[in-house]
Amino acid sequence: MNSSVASAAKEDRLDETFAALANSTRRAILTRLTEGEANVNQLAEPFKLSLPAISKHLKVLEQAGLIVRGQRAQYRPCTLDAAPLEEVSTWAEQYRPIWEARFDRMDTYLQQLQQHRKTGSDDD
Amino acid sequence: MTDDNGGQNMVIERSLEAPTDLVWKMWTEPEHFAAWYGPGGATIPVATMDVRVGGIRLLCMEMTTPDGTMQMWFTGEYLEVVENQRLVYTDSMSDEHGNVMSPEQLGMPEGHPTTTEVSVELEHVNGGTKMVLTHAGVPAESPGAAGWAMALDKLAARLDEAQRA
Repeated sequence: MNSSVASAAKEDRLDETFAALANSTRRAILTRLTEGEANVNQLAEPFKLSLPAISKHLKVLEQAGLIVRGQRAQYRPCTLDAAPLEEVSTWAEQYRPIWEARFDRMDTYLQQLQQHRKTGSDDD
Repeated sequence: MTDDNGGQNMVIERSLEAPTDLVWKMWTEPEHFAAWYGPGGATIPVATMDVRVGGIRLLCMEMTTPDGTMQMWFTGEYLEVVENQRLVYTDSMSDEHGNVMSPEQLGMPEGHPTTTEVSVELEHVNGGTKMVLTHAGVPAESPGAAGWAMALDKLAARLDEAQRA
């Protein structure tokens, strides 16, 4: 949907964030992490889910950049990374870069049209 | 976060150095609309705009990719039409006949509303035009989207508290 590589990448990232958030278990995990870091066992506690199932959810959240996992093998605490959340604090915000780019083009087009009229070109 | 859509509105304000009636044409005449709406590299081969309340719009966006030409179709209905002042329409992805398709059907992640609402307000200011765009969700038609958007709002509020603590 967007021309520049930067905004395309941004939209991809937003897609990923949205996909990660479109699941109640993953949102519950994020909510738990607002209270502080936790490991897989602690995160699994409130859910009737196996550890591998929770790990799968954590992987999705990690790929979306919503959580960061520690490196210690036995105890890999998860912490929340709020940056991607700020971008999607409302879903409609994802349309902002698209509209901004459109209005830049509209602005340029309007200038061209009016320039055209002023110079009295007869090919319009 | 106090609007009717539970904080799901995006608003952009722009000042344009152009008369209001010309800016109105940018939104209501297919050849002008096509000149700015599509992303760079895309063309808008079909844009039907029956600009009156209850009138239908149908838009095709065409992009050339290494795999060939890709077409995306969008449709909607005009809800409010006040010439040179206010335009409100719905926007949904569709097939080429204007049959609405859900974002999930088109392979997008769940949680995108099927129908969104675009409103444009124009105001004559200092010889130019102030344009205010509002892009809003229509949660009634997408209960799933509304549900998780509310959950997300709660999460964001919780996060605010945590950061302040």
